[in-house]
Amino acid sequence: MNNHYAPGGRPAGWLYALACGLLIFSGLAQLPVMKRYYLADLPGLAFSADFYVTSNLHYGAAALLLGLLAWRLGLALRQTGGRWSWGPRGRWGWTLLGLLLLTGAGKALRNAGVFVWPGMMLALDLTHLGAAMAFMLTGLGVLARRGKPAGARQTALARSRP
Amino acid sequence: MAPDISRRGFLTGGLAAAAGLAVSGLALPAALAAPAGQSDQDLCTLLDLSKCIGCEACVDACRDQWQADLPDPVQPIPRSLPARVPTEDWSGRKQVRDRLTPYNFLYVEHLEVEHAGRRVELHLPRRCMHCQNAPCADLCPFGACQDEKSGVVHIDPEICLGGAKCKNVCPWHIPQRQSGVGLYLNLLPQYVGNGVMFKCHRCLPLLRKGQAPRCLAECPQQVQSIAPRSAQAAQAQALARDMAAKDGASPERWRDYVYGLEENGGTNTIYVAPLPFREINAALLKDHQAKAHKERADAQAAGRPPEPGNLGRPAMGLVKNSMGDAQNLTLALAIAPVAGLAAGLGRLFSKTRRLAGPAAAPAKDSDSQKGGQA
Ligand code: SF4
Ligand code: SF4
Ligand code: SF4
Repeated sequence: MNNHYAPGGRPAGWLYALACGLLIFSGLAQLPVMKRYYLADLPGLAFSADFYVTSNLHYGAAALLLGLLAWRLGLALRQTGGRWSWGPRGRWGWTLLGLLLLTGAGKALRNAGVFVWPGMMLALDLTHLGAAMAFMLTGLGVLARRGKPAGARQTALARSRP
Repeated sequence: MAPDISRRGFLTGGLAAAAGLAVSGLALPAALAAPAGQSDQDLCTLLDLSKCIGCEACVDACRDQWQADLPDPVQPIPRSLPARVPTEDWSGRKQVRDRLTPYNFLYVEHLEVEHAGRRVELHLPRRCMHCQNAPCADLCPFGACQDEKSGVVHIDPEICLGGAKCKNVCPWHIPQRQSGVGLYLNLLPQYVGNGVMFKCHRCLPLLRKGQAPRCLAECPQQVQSIAPRSAQAAQAQALARDMAAKDGASPERWRDYVYGLEENGGTNTIYVAPLPFREINAALLKDHQAKAHKERADAQAAGRPPEPGNLGRPAMGLVKNSMGDAQNLTLALAIAPVAGLAAGLGRLFSKTRRLAGPAAAPAKDSDSQKGGQA
């Protein structure tokens, strides 16, 4: 496998970050918090209190993410090689992303009018919410660790090892 | 109108008279009551407003059946922080019956509408429309608002946190909040949730036992009927054509005389009326405005914060399909992965940037890298 290429280069990473950022923001906005906590009062954020607008945004960002992941899958199937500069790097991240995609697909089908049994819907909603929270916290953890000076990071790493 | 005993006595007789009618009696017809009382059909109620005399027996029946089961709030009700969302307490005003409240799932509008140079008296029972693709259920983030195969949309009071998103996204703003009750009290009541949302559940516990909704069963005029939606839609169209003809309008204008067939993408509550709903809605809006003005002044005098919105009185304007955008965007969700996969298999952008030197070597998974990069 040729690892000297990053497919899509930086723009692919930016698109992934954009999709995840929009998904997390519009997903949080699906909880009734934007108005309650005055976030929608911030300049330019009035739209965040409109559940329909943020739901459309969620769909748009989800389509972008699905497109990126499918593109990555296509390249992987062709074994084009390259080093991926974006996306989860471990099983935990991929599991969460997989759960989010599956439960999100279930919710989208239901929104399109397909009947889903109430018990199943409850499971989909809570799993989607829980996986999203875990994904967001994990992502924040990764970013925070990246932000630390190299020395501190290595000390933390050394401490975390038995 | 206040509840009165004599009217209830009268109704018992009316009920007996109605008992022979399959779709408007106490029990659901066998064909509609599936095993275990869980209907597999999209059941729809049809209200013929030309029959309604405004006696409010339906309101009495609903209140008698359900009000006692509804919880009373803890006192004092926790105040939310920051104080952006209002505490809504209807427990001291359970007698209110001229609007929707958490303790009143159904009310009757009494209108006089100017129509074709005459005054037409009209009475309209109002409650949840039980939308076919209900945004309140689709968009509830906690799965508390649910829809059943039988076409019933209901809110589980054990799960609902009272954030009122269902009320916000409902085009008629039907669900009503009671603060100080429900699950949120066991979480962080000042910061998360604000009570439980309540609305008509079309008598789901009775429906599951094969019984008809109470408001339907107790109506002396058999204003409502319940049947599979396709049959009700056909019946509504026939009635509306008839009403348009009687009103001197072209039969082609029959859609003006029906409400719920297409509103919000179609609902499982369909109204037909002897005059166009456009005119009914104009009269409703005028009436609601006058009532809102008075009630807001009363609330201010009583030291209550003025309630925003329609004050539990839904109008009957044209309502586009709230979930229409989501339905269209589902197509984008289906196309995106196909396009992405095609691009990947076609090696599009596969070698965009050449990486230089050892720094570009693939990073191995390590403990510090696992866990996703959002
Ligand atoms: S629907 Fe029936 S019970 Fe209700 S007000 Fe009209 S006539 Fe009376
Ligand atoms: S009328 Fe409102 S509360 Fe009732 S099902 Fe439709 S969206 Fe939900
Ligand atoms: S269907 Fe049942 S819950 Fe709904 S208004 Fe009628 S009596 Fe009340």
